[in-house]
Amino acid sequence: MAVEAFSDEWARQFKDEVNKSATYKSAAKGWKWTVGLVVEAEPDKNMPESVGVVMDLFDGEARDIHVGPAADAQACQFVITAPYSRWKQVATKELDATKGMLQGKLKLKGDLPTIVRYTKASQELTECTTRVPVEWPDER
Amino acid sequence: MHDAGAGRMARRKVATKKPVDYADPEPSAFASMLGGLIEANVAASAAKRKDFGELHARVGVFVTDIDEGVTLDFDRGALVVHNGLQPKRDLTIRAEADTVMNLSNLKIGLFGMPVYYDEVGRGVAARLLQGRLRIDGLLGNLSTLNTVTRIFSVQ
Repeated sequence: MAVEAFSDEWARQFKDEVNKSATYKSAAKGWKWTVGLVVEAEPDKNMPESVGVVMDLFDGEARDIHVGPAADAQACQFVITAPYSRWKQVATKELDATKGMLQGKLKLKGDLPTIVRYTKASQELTECTTRVPVEWPDER
Repeated sequence: MHDAGAGRMARRKVATKKPVDYADPEPSAFASMLGGLIEANVAASAAKRKDFGELHARVGVFVTDIDEGVTLDFDRGALVVHNGLQPKRDLTIRAEADTVMNLSNLKIGLFGMPVYYDEVGRGVAARLLQGRLRIDGLLGNLSTLNTVTRIFSVQ
């Protein structure tokens, strides 16, 4: 059953998908930094306020993923920021996250060599989001 | 004892020039990423600093699936990153986005040679054979390519 995008239930299912992924477990070995995803508001798409997804990822495991204020996500060691509709494109595989970053559609803050070293892990994280069936606010 | 009123003192000029600069007032996201990556790599490794200090070449990197490129002008310890492909390049690397990222993940082995026999290296070599990674100007510039690969590499 589809869950509301960026809700607590979505975060729980996303975390389960990450922890089920053998690919992520092996590609993210050694990762020990928090990651924040900032989903910027788009009121015309039924997304009136920005939200933050805070991911506590450690050594191939998602210890916690929760949704909260954008400021919480901005305080993470790695932060990826994009408007709501861009994140929707990523989660529906319309936009590849790597290409999105190179094009500036997704803005990255954090140590670049580290993120490049874990390209495969970040690609698999994106894959995990696509496995959660989502009800998008602009389609309601 | 130091006398503050002793007049002018000889001063050594302190180099403040940044190793990586951008030719365009608004560097593209790709230019910023590549420039930032090289700057961080060079700051973190004495071996990469040595390569960076010796490299004199103009290298183009074009990402085929986003239709965007940059030109890296290496000039012995300084790099200017241009948006787009500029003329008179020694080398031009053309590949899809994930291959460009994989080039940065190539391990460096014996004698400073990129490793092409592990998983990442085999992937890069396969793309080269499939024509999905093209390197123009390779003839006569193999050593430049190896140096650039070492500077790119985050491994």
